[in-house]
Amino acid sequence: MSSPDSETPGSSDKRIGLQEPPASGEQAAPPAVEVRGISKDFGSNRALDQVDLHIGHGEVLGLLGQNGSGKSTLVKVLAGVYDPEPGGRLFVGGEEVALPLVPGQASQIGLSFVYQNLALAPGLSVLENLTLGQRIGGGLSSWKAINWMAERRRAAVVLDRYDVKLDLDRRTGELAPVDQARLAIVRAAEDLRRYRTRSGYKHSVLVLDEPTVFLPEEEVDRLFDLIRTVVAEGAAVLFISHDLAAVRAITDRVVVLRDGRVVGEEVTADIREEELVSLIVGAPTRAGQSAPDGGAPVEDQQAVALTLAAMQSAGGADAVAAGENVAVEHLTDEWLRDLSFEIGAGEILGVAGLIGSGAEELPYLLFGARPAGSGALRLGAETMDVGGLSPQRCVRERIALVPADRAVQGLSQSLTLWENIVMLVEDEHYRGGIFHRGELVDLAREAIDRFLIRPPRARNAMSTFSGGNQQKALLAKWLLARPRLLLLHEPTQGVDVGARRDIYRFVKSAAALHHMAVLWVTTEFGELAEVCDRVIVITQGRHTATLDGEELTEEAISAAALRQTREDR
Amino acid sequence: MSAPAPVDEARPEERHAERPAPAAILRVGLQRYAILIVFAIMVAVFGVDLPGTFLSVGNLSNILGSQAVLFILVMAVLLPTVVGDFVDLSLGSSLGLSSMTLAVLNVQHGTPVLLACLAGIGAAMVVGLVNVFFVVFFDSDPFIVTLGTMTVVQGVIYIVSGSNSVGIVSTGLSNWIFTNEFLSIPLEFYYGLAIFLVVWYVLSFTPTGQRALVIGQSREVARLSGIRVNRQRAFAYIIGAAIAGVAGIAYAGTNGTVDPTAGSSLILPAYAAVFLGATAIKPGRINPLGALIAVYFLAAGTAGLELLGAQTYFQQIFYGVALVASITIPKVTRDRFLKRKRSA
Repeated sequence: MSSPDSETPGSSDKRIGLQEPPASGEQAAPPAVEVRGISKDFGSNRALDQVDLHIGHGEVLGLLGQNGSGKSTLVKVLAGVYDPEPGGRLFVGGEEVALPLVPGQASQIGLSFVYQNLALAPGLSVLENLTLGQRIGGGLSSWKAINWMAERRRAAVVLDRYDVKLDLDRRTGELAPVDQARLAIVRAAEDLRRYRTRSGYKHSVLVLDEPTVFLPEEEVDRLFDLIRTVVAEGAAVLFISHDLAAVRAITDRVVVLRDGRVVGEEVTADIREEELVSLIVGAPTRAGQSAPDGGAPVEDQQAVALTLAAMQSAGGADAVAAGENVAVEHLTDEWLRDLSFEIGAGEILGVAGLIGSGAEELPYLLFGARPAGSGALRLGAETMDVGGLSPQRCVRERIALVPADRAVQGLSQSLTLWENIVMLVEDEHYRGGIFHRGELVDLAREAIDRFLIRPPRARNAMSTFSGGNQQKALLAKWLLARPRLLLLHEPTQGVDVGARRDIYRFVKSAAALHHMAVLWVTTEFGELAEVCDRVIVITQGRHTATLDGEELTEEAISAAALRQTREDR
Repeated sequence: MSAPAPVDEARPEERHAERPAPAAILRVGLQRYAILIVFAIMVAVFGVDLPGTFLSVGNLSNILGSQAVLFILVMAVLLPTVVGDFVDLSLGSSLGLSSMTLAVLNVQHGTPVLLACLAGIGAAMVVGLVNVFFVVFFDSDPFIVTLGTMTVVQGVIYIVSGSNSVGIVSTGLSNWIFTNEFLSIPLEFYYGLAIFLVVWYVLSFTPTGQRALVIGQSREVARLSGIRVNRQRAFAYIIGAAIAGVAGIAYAGTNGTVDPTAGSSLILPAYAAVFLGATAIKPGRINPLGALIAVYFLAAGTAGLELLGAQTYFQQIFYGVALVASITIPKVTRDRFLKRKRSA
C-alpha cells in the first residue's frame, strides 16, 4: 500500500526533486509544502517515523489515521510546538526552511492552523475575534489606536469575500458551532491571503485539524463550501479528520498514517471506503460492508460475554434484571412537540435529526439534566413526569446518560481512571463506616480489562487517555450502574475506528443480555443504520418517520431527516 | 475478528504496564512527600543551630499550641475549597464575628460562657448561610460574594464592639482552651486535631468525601452523575463557617481579649496552608492531611526563624515564599515530564 500510485504527484518528488511539476499538468511549481523524513520521539516511543508528505497548490489533502497514529504530532511539528528529530526537512513553496520551527514562525512562512477547539474567545464579538490576529504584533503597533470603524468595514468585506454572513457584533459564543468553525476558518484564510499579498509568494497552506467533529452532517456542507472558496482563493488545505465521509467529500488526495508511518497515499476518487478503513486500522477487513458492520456472530458472542462479566462483577443478583419496556409520551418542550415513542426491552432505538431538530435535546430531557416542559416517561410499571426529573432521581431509577461532551460533562479529567469508572457505585463499597477502596480499584481494573481501555493504568489521570478510551471509560462507568434505560448522545464523536467498533459491541451486548432499553441519538446516520434495531426521525421537534428492517439505511435516514425539513419551510 | 484478539495479546503488557517505572515512582514520591522532606531538613537545621531551644518541649508546645487557631481555621477553609469554591474570603470575618459575639455577650452582658460560645458559632453559621444563599442559589461568583460578606461582617464586628477590643472573657474558657495542657500542649491543639480527624475521615474515607472531590474537580460531571451538587456545596459553606466559629472561640480563649480585627490577619495564612497542603500527600488535590502538614511546616519554620533572631514580619515573607515555591516547583517537574511523554 505504501508504494505511491503512479498518478499521484508525490511519487516523483523523491527522485527528481522540486523542479518536477505536480501532475496537474499546469505550469511547473513546487508543492506548497513538503516535508521529508520527519520523525519525532517521545522517550522510547516513536510518534512519527520518517514521514514524507507534500501538498500541491490548490489541493485539499486529507490526513487520516486513528488516534495516536501521529496526525496531531505532525501538525504540532508544523506549528512549531514540537521539535522534530534531526534529519527531517521542510520545504515551503520550494524553499527549504530550517527545522525546528519556533512557535509563531509558521504564520510567517504561510501556514495557518484551525484546531478543533477553534481558538476563538467566546466572550468577544465576531469582529474582535476576526481581528485578533492583527493584535499580536509587538512593538509600537501595540500602542496605536484601533480604528474600529475602519476595522468593521474591512471585516465586512472579508466576510463577504468568503460568502459568510455573520453579525459582527454577536458574541462569538452565541454563534452556532458551524458558524464558529467558519469564523475560525475565515480568520485563518484571511491571514494566508494577507501573507500572499505581502510576501508575493504563491503558496500558503491552511491546516484544518478535525474541523467537522462537532458539526452535524447538514452543516458540514456549509463548511465545505467555505473550504472550496478558500482553495479557489489560492490556498492549499491539509484536512485532518476521523470522518471518512467528510474526507471523501472534500479532499483530492489522502495520506494515511498508522503508528507514525505513512502507510498509504491515494487519490481520493480512486479508493474505496473499505480500502481506506483497512489502511487506517491496519488489519485487512473482509470484503464489502463487513468493516463497519460488526454483525459477525463470533465477535459478538465474545463481546457479549465480556460485557456480561463486567456487569456481573459490578453487583449483586439484580445485575441481570429482566428488561423493562420504556415509553415516552407527549414530551413537549422548547424544541420538541408532543413526542411519543416506545423502546422495547433490549431494543436499541436510534433517534435521527439534524441539529436544531430537537433530537439532541432528548437524552438530556429524559435524564432531567435540562428543564423539560411536560410529558411522561414510563419505565416498566412506573410512570414519571418528565418535568419533575432530576439527574439524582434518574440515577436512582437507573437511567444512564452518556453525554456528547465527555470531556466536560462525562468524565472528570483531573481524577484518575478508576475514580471515574466507579463513581456511581461507591456507596455499595462503604460498609460499617469503612470505605473499601481496594474493592473499587479491583472493580475498575476488571472494567478496564473488559472494556479494552488502553493503557490499562487505573491510577492515571483521565486527561491522559485518548478520546476513544475515555469514551469506553464513560460507558463502563454507566454500565457498572446497571441501567434500565441507557441514553447515548453522540457516543462515538471524536473516537477512532477501532474504539468505535468496540463501543458498538458493548452497547449491543448490554442491550441483548440485560434487556436494557437503549436510546441512541446521533447525527451520524450511518452509525444509526448499523447499530439500531429501529430509528425514529425527528424534524422540527416532531416525530416524522420510523424506519426499521430493510428501510434502515443511512440514505433513508438522511433523506427522511432532510426531506421533511425542507417541506416544512 | 480484530477486536477480541487484542485482549489476550495485551494481557502480559497490561500487567507490566500497571507497575510504573522506578523513575516515575521516585518522581511522584518526591512530589508527594516534598514538604515532609523539606520539613525534616528544616527541623534538622534548626535543631543543629539551636540545640537547646528549637527542639525543647517548650518550643514544640509553643509551635503546636500557638497555631491551633490557624489550624482550626484551615479546616474551615478546606471545606468550600474541596468542593471547588476556591475562596470563601468571609471565613476570617466569621472567625472574628464568632469571637466578638462571644466576648460581647460574655463580658458586657454576662451571658454564661457556654451559651455565648454557641451564639458565636451560630453567628458564624449565619454568615455561611448568607454565602450559600448568594453563591449556591443565585450561582454568583464566590470570590465576589464572599468579598462582600467579608466586608459587611467586618463592619458588623466594629458596630457590636464599638471599634474597641473587648475583654477579658471568662477565665474558665481560657482554662479549657489555652491554659490547661495535656502532654504540655494546650488543649486547643487537641480540639483542632479532633476536627481534623473528622474532616479527614469524611473527605478521605467516605463516599461523601469522594463526591465532594468530584464536585470540586468537575462540577458538571458530578451533576450529571446524580450527585446533589448544590446541597453538598451548601453544607461545605455552612459547616466551614461553623468550624470558623469554633476557631473564633479558640481565638477568644487564647487571647483573653478580642480585637475587632481578629481573623482578618489569619485568613490568608490559612489559604496559604491549604494550597501548600494541596501539593503534598495527594498532589493536585486539596487534602486535609496535606493541610495539617503545611500548617505545622509553616509554624515550625517561623518559630525557628524567630528563635534565630528574625523579626516577626519574616513570618509573612516565609509564608509567601513557601506558597509560591510549593505551587511552582511541582509544575516545573511535571511539565518537563509531560513534554517528554505527550504523544500524538
